[in-house]
Amino acid sequence: MSTSTVRKLDPESPSSLTGVKGRRRFVDRAMRVVVFLAFLLAVIPLFWVLWITISRGIGLVISPEWWTTSMRNVGPNDFGGGAAAAIQGTLIQAAIATAIAVPVGVLAGIYLVEYSDKPLVRPVSFMTDVLTGIPSIVSGLFIYALFITTFGFNRMGFLVALALTLLMVPVVVRGTEEMLRIVPNELREASYALGVPRYRTILKVVLPTAISGIITSVMLAVARIMGETAPLLILVGYTASLNPNPFEGEQAALPLMINVERGNPLPPGQERAWAAALTLILIVMLLNIGARIISRFSGIKK
Amino acid sequence: MNIARFTKTAALAAVGVMALAACSDGGSNDASSDSTSAANIDCASGTLSSEGSSAQGNAMTEWIKQYQLACPDATVNYNPTGSGAGIEQFLADQVDFAGSDSALDTDDGEVADAKERCDGNEAWNLPMVVGPVAVAYNVEGLDNLVLNADVTADIFSGKIKKWNDPAIAALNSGTDLPDEPITVFYRSDESGTTQNFTQYLQAAAPDKWTEEPSKSWTGTGEGKEKSAGVQEATIQNENSITYVEWSYARDGGLGIAQIDNGSGPVELNGDTAGKTLDASKIVGSGNNLEMEIDYATTEPGAYPIVLVTYEIACSKGLAENEAAQVKSFLTYTASDDGQSVLNDLGYAPLPPEVAGKVQAAVADLS
Repeated sequence: MSTSTVRKLDPESPSSLTGVKGRRRFVDRAMRVVVFLAFLLAVIPLFWVLWITISRGIGLVISPEWWTTSMRNVGPNDFGGGAAAAIQGTLIQAAIATAIAVPVGVLAGIYLVEYSDKPLVRPVSFMTDVLTGIPSIVSGLFIYALFITTFGFNRMGFLVALALTLLMVPVVVRGTEEMLRIVPNELREASYALGVPRYRTILKVVLPTAISGIITSVMLAVARIMGETAPLLILVGYTASLNPNPFEGEQAALPLMINVERGNPLPPGQERAWAAALTLILIVMLLNIGARIISRFSGIKK
Repeated sequence: MNIARFTKTAALAAVGVMALAACSDGGSNDASSDSTSAANIDCASGTLSSEGSSAQGNAMTEWIKQYQLACPDATVNYNPTGSGAGIEQFLADQVDFAGSDSALDTDDGEVADAKERCDGNEAWNLPMVVGPVAVAYNVEGLDNLVLNADVTADIFSGKIKKWNDPAIAALNSGTDLPDEPITVFYRSDESGTTQNFTQYLQAAAPDKWTEEPSKSWTGTGEGKEKSAGVQEATIQNENSITYVEWSYARDGGLGIAQIDNGSGPVELNGDTAGKTLDASKIVGSGNNLEMEIDYATTEPGAYPIVLVTYEIACSKGLAENEAAQVKSFLTYTASDDGQSVLNDLGYAPLPPEVAGKVQAAVADLS
């Protein structure tokens, strides 16, 4: 954008075509081509992935049975089938993870920003950075070692939710922190000037100002953990049947379903794997759109 | 906060999704229409967990479908995560039985661990699924290809490089073989199929194949990941050859070589694969039916490259309802009804003699 403005200020009259200006124009053009090519390079794989997933998965995804039935009693060579069990499991696990991670993450974020004079802030901030860098497989193995090897639990959906919580907390902390930092200090000072204590200032002034951004960052974190596969592979078994109980037995999830159906060499299995991938993309996309809408319509109105 | 407007937008979006879903044809969803009703199943209710070999994944899925159709109160789960994972989870008390490409290993301590898992009782290896491995090729116009162990070993070790090599021509007299190089594809991941195939090569062509059988490939060629990978590569590259499970070769429309075991060329089908098992012996004792496959069999009409996968279950020692479920489900899978549904899926049924022993062993589970 800015380059084109510059060009207009620099009229292309023959008199301005000295050596320097010609070279500048050449560099300008060349850079613009390079930037455009880089953009194309970044976008092509995205659209390619989208196109392949949609073209191979849409056939199943548009049928109502896909959303309402499970894979129970669908043989490996039967076409069709449904993702209800996988969608149910993914949503339940993500919901539990969110329910644990959001209070912890938001409160930690508030602590880091609003109580930045406290001694624990530096270690908490550092640990959040460390947590951010933990690969999902490690968090899965940690939960496995703690709950299954040490405490002797059976594999279940709830353990997946715990592993996802570990991945989600640092994202929420960082998101909350960023959002609280951009709340203007004048608001806090004005509140203090009126004699309002710190906790009320946070609850009534700072949080409402930042809430839309916090919600957005939470939704993005949810979307991110939904596609995690490594903890699922370790911590829960796949089932073709619906299982609404995260505390007992196998529970399906979309990434697991993709993995299992990919292992089925017959055409119906391949079709289901693509459809499950498309379903996961759709759900994540809906969450992202939801985050946009919420952030637009919530928060303080001017 | 403008909640009302947000709700409206959300509702609109939801309605849109519903409408999109509703206007589909829904055509391809006839999941249970072709299901044969499995008649004589002695049902046990509850949830049964199992895990293991991916080679028997489709067989299990089909069995589970038939079993659950007959027993609506039962849920059986099978996770095709691999033999090693299955045994691990079985020993760790996470699943009720395991599926495995190989029997429990005494040297690794698996047998002892399994005894502990089963409360001091023996765990039995029950052969359940027979999966033949195809030597699959893609050569235009070549409908029939006959190979024997020596030539196969030479092709897969890279000594035979051309399709019209005299050694291949000698087995296929009268066939027009192209003057083209052979492209070999192999499994780049560790795989029971590779182990099984190299066991065959070593047993049947000991002079030609000198490498030790193993899960990772030691021959020549270009590696592709998983069965789907070698299948795809062979479909896309003319004059190529690979080894892959029967179902992959068949569904990919690839040519499947007949194997000459010394008594004439043998086509791959359920009967010929079963013959090799008939010729093999059971090395386990009592109801522990560990098998040793005679890859070098010269039995006429026996297709020698077969993979036997086991279910590994506690002879006793499980909780009462779990034991009842395991027994009920395995009784069905070992039954003639159970074995006969596998044919369309690229598996061969257990030969009657072995099936009889497995049925007897399952009846002894308690």
